[in-house]
Amino acid sequence: MPTLSPAPDGTSVRLPAPPTPWPAAATRRTQGGVVLAVPALVWYLVFMVGPLVAIFVIAALHWPGMLQPISFAGLGNVRTVLDDPVFWDAARNTATQLVVALPLMIVAAYMLGYYVAQRPPGHRALRYLLFIPGLISTPAKAMVFYAVLSPDGLLNGGLEKTGLGSLTDAWLASPSTALACLILLDVWSGIGFTAVLFAARLGSVPDEIGEAAQLDGAGHWRAMWRIHFPVIRDFVGVVTMLQFLWTLFGSAQNVLLLTQGGPGSSSTTLSFLVYQKAFIAADLGYSQTVGVVLFLAGLAGLLTIRRVFRQNY
Amino acid sequence: MKFGRSWLPAHILAWLYAALLVVPLYYLLVSAFKTNDQIFGSPFSPPASLSPDNFGEAFSSAHLGPAVVNSAFVTALALALTLALAVPAAFAIARSEGRLGALVERVFSLGFLVPTFAALFPTFLLAAGTGLFHTRAFMVLFLPATAMPLSVVILVQFMRTIPREMEEAARIDGASTFAVLRHVYTPMCMPGIATILLLNFLTFWNEYLYSLVIIGPDPEQRTVQVALPTLKSLTGTDYGILTAGTLLTLVPVWVVYTVLQKRMQQALVSGAVKM
Repeated sequence: MPTLSPAPDGTSVRLPAPPTPWPAAATRRTQGGVVLAVPALVWYLVFMVGPLVAIFVIAALHWPGMLQPISFAGLGNVRTVLDDPVFWDAARNTATQLVVALPLMIVAAYMLGYYVAQRPPGHRALRYLLFIPGLISTPAKAMVFYAVLSPDGLLNGGLEKTGLGSLTDAWLASPSTALACLILLDVWSGIGFTAVLFAARLGSVPDEIGEAAQLDGAGHWRAMWRIHFPVIRDFVGVVTMLQFLWTLFGSAQNVLLLTQGGPGSSSTTLSFLVYQKAFIAADLGYSQTVGVVLFLAGLAGLLTIRRVFRQNY
Repeated sequence: MKFGRSWLPAHILAWLYAALLVVPLYYLLVSAFKTNDQIFGSPFSPPASLSPDNFGEAFSSAHLGPAVVNSAFVTALALALTLALAVPAAFAIARSEGRLGALVERVFSLGFLVPTFAALFPTFLLAAGTGLFHTRAFMVLFLPATAMPLSVVILVQFMRTIPREMEEAARIDGASTFAVLRHVYTPMCMPGIATILLLNFLTFWNEYLYSLVIIGPDPEQRTVQVALPTLKSLTGTDYGILTAGTLLTLVPVWVVYTVLQKRMQQALVSGAVKM
C-alpha cells in the first residue's frame, strides 16, 4: 500500500488559478469532473433525502394501515398526538434518557480519554478493551444485557449468591427499572468508544501545553479541565452531537430488543413510538408525526449543543 | 514519577470500567460452552468441556448458516457499490474549483446530520414501491446511500493531498479523465479507501433495524443481526445457545479488529473527526 505524503504545497496556500500551460485541459477537467459526482448524489437524494421529505408528507395524512384508504388530515395528526398520554410518556422518557445519559457519558468519557492519553502503564491494553463496544452490533449488545439482566440472569444470580436475594428484580420487566436499564446500556457502551475518540484527539494536543501547565503548578485536575478541555472544546461538541443523535434516534433498537416499550409505556421512547405506530399499530400518520417531532427535536438539540460548545478562546 | 499516588483513583476507575466491559464478554464466552444449569450454578467458572453443542444448536435453530451467507453477501456488495459511487464523486469534488463542486461537497457534509434511523417507514415504502421489499437486494442498494456522506468527505480529504502535477504529467501522456482517476488518484488514496472500507464494513455487518423491517424474518433472506435475537424467543431461556449464537456473529468483526486494530481505530476516529 503506498504511503501518502502530504503535498509539499499544501492546498491552502495554492494560488486560486494555477497557471497551467494547457488551459484547454484545465477547463475540460472541471467540467468532466462534476459529472462524476452525479451518481453518488442521485443515490443519496433518492435513498436518504427523499424518504426524509416523505416523513413530512405522511405526517399530514390520515393513513390507518398499509392497505387502507388514505385521506388528507392536515394538522389533525398533530392534535391526536398531542392529546395522547403515551406520546407525553415517550417524550418524558426520551428527555430523561438524554438528560441522564448524555452528560454522564461525555464527562466520564472525557476523563477516561484524558487518562488514556497520558499513556499510563497498560494504556495499550486499555485502549484495545475500551474499543470493544464500538465493534459489537446493537443486537449482540442487547443479548449480552439480556443475559445479564433477565430474571434468571447473571445479576440476579450474583445477588442470590451473595445473600442479597431480597434485592433481585425482573430488571427489564419492572416499570421502575426498565428505562434505567436502557440508559445503563447506552452509558455502558458509549463511554468506552467515546473515550477512545477523545484520547485520539488529546493525543494530537502538543505536549508543551501540558508541561507548561505542570511547571505553573497546575494539578492534573486543573490541567484536564482548564487547559486541555478548552483546546479540544469544539471536538467535544462534535462527539456530543453524535452521541445525542445516536441516543435520540437509535434508542428504538434497544427498546425493541429488550423491553418492547413496556411495561405499559414506562420505557417507550419517541423513536420507538415511531417504530411501534408504523409497524405494530399501523397508524402511519401518527407515526410520522412523531417522526417530525423527533426530527425537530434533533435539529434543536444540534443547534443547542453547537452553541454550548462553540470555541471561545 | 509522573503517575504518583494521586493517580491511584484514576487507575482504579479506568480499570473498573474496563472490567465492566470484559466481565460480560467473559460470561458470554464461558456460557457458550455450558448448559443452563451450569450457567446458573456457577456463572463464572470456566466450562467443564469445550463441546461445540451449543454452537451447533444455535446454528440450526436460528438458521445461522444462510444468515451468515446473507450478511456476507449484503456487506460485500454494498461495500463494492459504496466504493463505485464514492470514489468518482470524491474525485470530482476534490478537483473541481467551481461553485458547483463546493455545493455538492456541502450537501454531503450536511448529510452527517441526517440520522439514518429517521426515515425508516418512508424507506420501507420505497422498498415496497420498487418491488424490492423482502429482498436483500434493496439493502445492497440502500446501505451505500447511508454511507455516502462519510465516505465522500473522507475520500475528498485524501484526494486533496494529491499534487496536481501528478495529473498534469498523466495528461501530457494523453490520459483521459477516467484514466487519471484509475491510474493516479485511486492508487494514491488507498489509505483513504481502506479507511472507508473498514468503517462501512462495521456499519453494514452490524446493521439491524432496516434489515429487520425491509428484509424481514424469512430465514432464506435475513441477515445474522436479524437472526440472532430470534434465539431469545425460540429457545426461551437457553442462555448457552443464545450466548453461542452471539459469539458467532461477533467472530468476523473480532478477527478484522484484531488483525487491523490500529488502522480500524484510526478509521473510526477519523470518521468522527472529519465532520
